[in-house]
Amino acid sequence: MKVKISDKKELASGIWQMDVSGDFPYTEVQPGQFVHIQVGDGHDHVLRRPISIAEVNPEQSRLTIVFRIVGEGTEWLAQQSVGNVLDVIGPLGNGFKSVKNARSLIVGGGIGIPPLYELAKRLKVEGNKVDIFLGFRRGDEVFWKERFAKFGNVQLYTEDGALGTKGFVTSGIEARLIENPKLWDYVYACGPRGMLKAVQELIMDLPVGGGVSLEERMACGVGACYGCTCETTAEESKRICVDGPVFDWREVKL
Amino acid sequence: MKPNMCVDFAGLKLKNPVMPASGCFGFGREYANFYDLSKLGAIVVKATTSQPRKGNPTPRVTEVRGGMLNSIGLANPGVDRVIADELPWLQQFDIPVIVNVAGETIEEYCTVVDRICQSGLAHAIELNVSCPNVQQGGLSFGVDPKVLGELLEAVRRVCTLPLIVKLSPNVTDIVEIAKAAEDAGADGLSLINTLIGMKIDINRRRPVLARGSGGLSGPAIKPVAIHMVYQVAKAVKIPILGIGGINTAEDVIEFVMAGAAAVEVGTANFTNPFACPEIIADLEKYMSKRGIKNLEEIRGCAL
Repeated sequence: MKVKISDKKELASGIWQMDVSGDFPYTEVQPGQFVHIQVGDGHDHVLRRPISIAEVNPEQSRLTIVFRIVGEGTEWLAQQSVGNVLDVIGPLGNGFKSVKNARSLIVGGGIGIPPLYELAKRLKVEGNKVDIFLGFRRGDEVFWKERFAKFGNVQLYTEDGALGTKGFVTSGIEARLIENPKLWDYVYACGPRGMLKAVQELIMDLPVGGGVSLEERMACGVGACYGCTCETTAEESKRICVDGPVFDWREVKL
Repeated sequence: MKPNMCVDFAGLKLKNPVMPASGCFGFGREYANFYDLSKLGAIVVKATTSQPRKGNPTPRVTEVRGGMLNSIGLANPGVDRVIADELPWLQQFDIPVIVNVAGETIEEYCTVVDRICQSGLAHAIELNVSCPNVQQGGLSFGVDPKVLGELLEAVRRVCTLPLIVKLSPNVTDIVEIAKAAEDAGADGLSLINTLIGMKIDINRRRPVLARGSGGLSGPAIKPVAIHMVYQVAKAVKIPILGIGGINTAEDVIEFVMAGAAAVEVGTANFTNPFACPEIIADLEKYMSKRGIKNLEEIRGCAL
């Protein structure tokens, strides 16, 4: 389907926010799902780019995506002007399941943060008390700290220490869990594999629900090519595009 | 005047010459969410082996200019589940089902081909002797005419369906391999599988794909495929399924002029999930406009 770029801005170094509008099944979107976007003029780029949905606003027929420029495809996307039309497929994949009246932890790292935004919004609406830990490599990469603060208590970490606490989000989470292992009923995370693995180790033996969102290079995006699989605790591997990108914490080997 | 889109391929009656290529279409379920698979000429399902296979470590796909590399490694649920879950589901569509079969040994190929033929749920076998992404079997059966002849002789004994052999471009002389397949009783040939390639991440200073190399597909390989179809069409009498970078109806016409009787569309499905039905519709328009009554009229006209 075709959507039109209605707004775009650079949030931080190399990180772009884009709002799109047009004919899209907005009301079907689950937090954590993605859209598969065609890039280029259809000759050089044969693969679409999977970009997570950051926010959906059905009343205003608006979808917000946030992406980092990592190669030619995302560079092309960032260069598109307001008014340009994008060819997208979506929403794709399985998203986060939002819960009611619980105590939840959201953990985001870098460009893994945007797919947690719609989730944070819904958790707040559903009466959850939400703690939000956001980690970035550098201070100049920080974005959306204030936006997340509307939905919960935000703790900021940067590896270079330029903003927030210096270090990794997991050190803060670990300290809180040592104080009270029953602090959170649900834990949701998206970010670098190392961060996700560290969070998984911290909560593995605790009775928490929630989910972890994974990323991988994809081709078809719809489950046909088996390009983006991940290892699971069962014998079978799973496809991140259709079985994920959000998995149960105990389902995947990180 | 409406052209006749029907094609007879190795005994299969196809309503049109366009089918998705193995490995690019799963077992059809995902694309059935986009359109009615009965529109296709046929379906070629994912390579099936005797046991389930997880495939290679990730990353196992990456884009390159004009194409992509994959090193999936024949991930599939194994022949038992293909027969139990996938092939019965495909019977609802009014199209021939072609099962791509891969193996590590002659025995494995024979076992899988036998099971598929006995199931009564398939219309043809496409024998995969050209996968570049596995340690054993795969490509090793497709590079030596003598080894291929031995495999086909064994498979022919158990194969009761039309037998199509999918050839690799990663050989010195594809004509020699094609002739060996024809001599050993193949009913048809499909070509080309992917070309071995590599991409290096210059920041990490390592290959992008976890396995290092992968198979190159997409528009970048079309001229290689056209040339190989052209060479093989001059040398064999059995029909050819042309594969390699097909994106448009004009690409189909080009393969037919090079000698292909029908075609498989692979990577284009990833760019556009509607690629196959759009190509079929455009092909009909193209033929009408040029007054081509059927594809036999132009098959091999460039030879």
